[in-house]
Amino acid sequence: MKIGILGGGHWGQALARLVMAAGNEPLIAYRDKKDKPPHILPSTKDAPSVSASCDLLLVATSANQVQAAIEMAEPHPGNRVVVAGRGIDADTGRWLCDVVREHSPVLRVGTLAGPAPVKEILNGGLCAGVVASPFQEVRDMVQIALHSSRYRLYGSSDMTGVQLSSAAVPPLAALVGVTTSLGGAGVGMHAMVIARGIAEYSRLATALGGDASSLAGLAGVGDLVAAQGQPGHRSFEVGKELLSKKRRTTASEPGPIRIARALVKTAEAAGVNIPLTQALVAMADGLDPLEAVQALMGRQAQDE
Amino acid sequence: MNRPPSALYNPAPRELVLKDLLARSRSRLDRLSNAKLAELLEDALYTERKRLQRSKNADAQAHLDILARALVRGTRADQMNAAMDLVRDWADEIHGKFDPRTYRFATRILPKALTGLLAGRPHRMSDLAPDRRLRVEGPVDVIADLCSEGTVVLAPTHVSNLDSPLIGLALHLAGLPPFVYGAGLNLFSNPFMGFFLSRLGAYTVDRRKSAQLYKDVLKDYSVRAMVTGHHSLFFPGGTRARSGRVEASVKKGLLGTGIVAWQEMLEAGHDKPDVYVVPLTLSFQLTLEAATLIGDHLEDSGKQRFIIDDDEFAQPRRLAAFARRVLDLDASVVARFGDPVDCLGNPVSHDPIERKQQSIDRQRYVCDADGTVQRDEQRDRVYTDRLADTLVKAYPRGITAMSTHVAAWVAWRMLEERLDTKDEFRVVRMPALSRRFSRAAFLERLEGVLKRIRTDVQNGEYDADLPVTARGALEQAIDRFTSYHRSKAIAEHGDDLVVEDTKLLLYYRNRLAHLELETP
Repeated sequence: MKIGILGGGHWGQALARLVMAAGNEPLIAYRDKKDKPPHILPSTKDAPSVSASCDLLLVATSANQVQAAIEMAEPHPGNRVVVAGRGIDADTGRWLCDVVREHSPVLRVGTLAGPAPVKEILNGGLCAGVVASPFQEVRDMVQIALHSSRYRLYGSSDMTGVQLSSAAVPPLAALVGVTTSLGGAGVGMHAMVIARGIAEYSRLATALGGDASSLAGLAGVGDLVAAQGQPGHRSFEVGKELLSKKRRTTASEPGPIRIARALVKTAEAAGVNIPLTQALVAMADGLDPLEAVQALMGRQAQDE
Repeated sequence: MNRPPSALYNPAPRELVLKDLLARSRSRLDRLSNAKLAELLEDALYTERKRLQRSKNADAQAHLDILARALVRGTRADQMNAAMDLVRDWADEIHGKFDPRTYRFATRILPKALTGLLAGRPHRMSDLAPDRRLRVEGPVDVIADLCSEGTVVLAPTHVSNLDSPLIGLALHLAGLPPFVYGAGLNLFSNPFMGFFLSRLGAYTVDRRKSAQLYKDVLKDYSVRAMVTGHHSLFFPGGTRARSGRVEASVKKGLLGTGIVAWQEMLEAGHDKPDVYVVPLTLSFQLTLEAATLIGDHLEDSGKQRFIIDDDEFAQPRRLAAFARRVLDLDASVVARFGDPVDCLGNPVSHDPIERKQQSIDRQRYVCDADGTVQRDEQRDRVYTDRLADTLVKAYPRGITAMSTHVAAWVAWRMLEERLDTKDEFRVVRMPALSRRFSRAAFLERLEGVLKRIRTDVQNGEYDADLPVTARGALEQAIDRFTSYHRSKAIAEHGDDLVVEDTKLLLYYRNRLAHLELETP
């Protein structure tokens, strides 16, 4: 089967490798020279031809480039489009699968998430992921496209929960970064942030019509554990930077913080309290981390 | 008036319809494994035995006995034969007693009869103009074109049992062709309606039959109707809205037959395979069965009746009183057609040339690159979910806010504030002495709400048919409330206003309950 991949960056290349490992043929649509993959991977600049020749398209661009990639590829109603990204566009707060539906006639969409360390994949490492779509045929197609002895791909019908899980990982990883560097904080606080972070996003998943258990799967806990296992992971570093009290302008704000802001807005609209993420945003706005921790710990006791 | 085509003008012979339904059921049952077939038939046996516990229908009981024996010690062939006996009975009942002669007679007479009914007590000739009583709005010309280009499914909100005859009249006024309609058996409790419904292309839906096998026959009937060129009408809400609220969710069983019919027509190379769905929101100043419906809504959910067969609709005197006092009022009913969508919930262009392209593109949602239809029930369920979401979003945009709704909304809000609660049961049980407020305070609140409604209407969020001033709106609402119901939602006591019947107040307020008409 020929699988279209929109985006020729490292992630697009890693997906192409996985497609090949599963015995399929990738075709990458790249934007410009900077985005062009190595010759060994079949690629073209003619994105609409990729949509025309491949039923399944995997979107492997950064979240804020998904709309541009879709508009360039001009998919038709027969395409199935699966976004392999962080679930949410931090700048607009829109879910990436909705971006695809709003900017193309495609209805059959899905999301690919889970621990996917690009370097490990490119070096032949083993890992797993989850494809979520309300359409069984989309889940089946993506499993055929990617599942192999080196990449184990699970299916889920909970697209809402999996997109949210995927989006929640960077802010949670940044919070873990804060706790690892905060004086006096030990493994207890570290564990509390992870467990309660997952709990607050489980509440949000339910409020948005998703399944809370998706947070405990590969897209949530799985991805968070993978992030934690990588020394120097970008999201951890963002958390550590918050302690250094270096203020950034909004324009250069790092991804995890921008995602956290988008998720806080989403949670407010849904009437759900996500105190840890709110605290992360407050720290990014200048609140002293110790004060933030004291405020969180000083709240009234409640049931888990 | 030149009406678009409808297969109802040339009905197929009854035997042909029944034969087709039996063939569809047989083909579906043949595809089932032995275990699945037995499971489906056991469900039919159990639910039908339960339904017929007190029935003396010997034929139906005999068919169930044969099915029971086939399930215990019969072969697959015995089970199939027993199942087909049931399917034959149900197909016969669903198809009803359609009679082309009555149909031709009724399509000439009924619009005039209904016009007369709506006119109540005509004082002058213009009172007999039906469009003075029933206002029809929306993209009617586009819908008429769609009736010629494909099959149209009309999906109205369900307020009252009078909906179906009024929709029939609305279709007539709009120059649209007749639609087939799945009428609940309880509608036949009114002898006049029962006689005509069964002979007018209405097919019978018995909501007491809960067997999956029965539901499948019903869906087959709906698919067959569409494939053979009948425009169809379903109430996706399933039943009348007990609370008076606009439908916030819809049933997907019959709604999902549109996509099946479309694929069947594509496979058959039909020249007009498209199925379009048109939302329709009905707004009534007063509702015939309001008292019964809201009473049922407030009952314990465990005791709630899905089928009501002893309401005002079944009482000819109440029906006559309603016709005399309510439908006599100018524009007391508004039928607003929404923008058409396809059977996947996509918007349909108003431009015929663009529609042709949409029709071709749409096929890729179910066909492979070679144009062959790929059947996938799970995929179609997701598409139908999308269609249902589209309808649920369209209904509130189609409402027409009327004086009874707005006055009830304000009065209810004032009662809520007095008790400092949003609990509708507490407000309903509020003591009579606390349900009085000054007319001046009420008018002040009403003025603000009317202002907000005018802004919303300008923004295209919904429509309104209201007197210009708050005083006018209040007077009209009180006049309407006094005209029909035995107890009044709002009544005048000197300079004060009193809520006499909190349940009725809740019912009429609920029409706008989804709106925030005041700045908190």
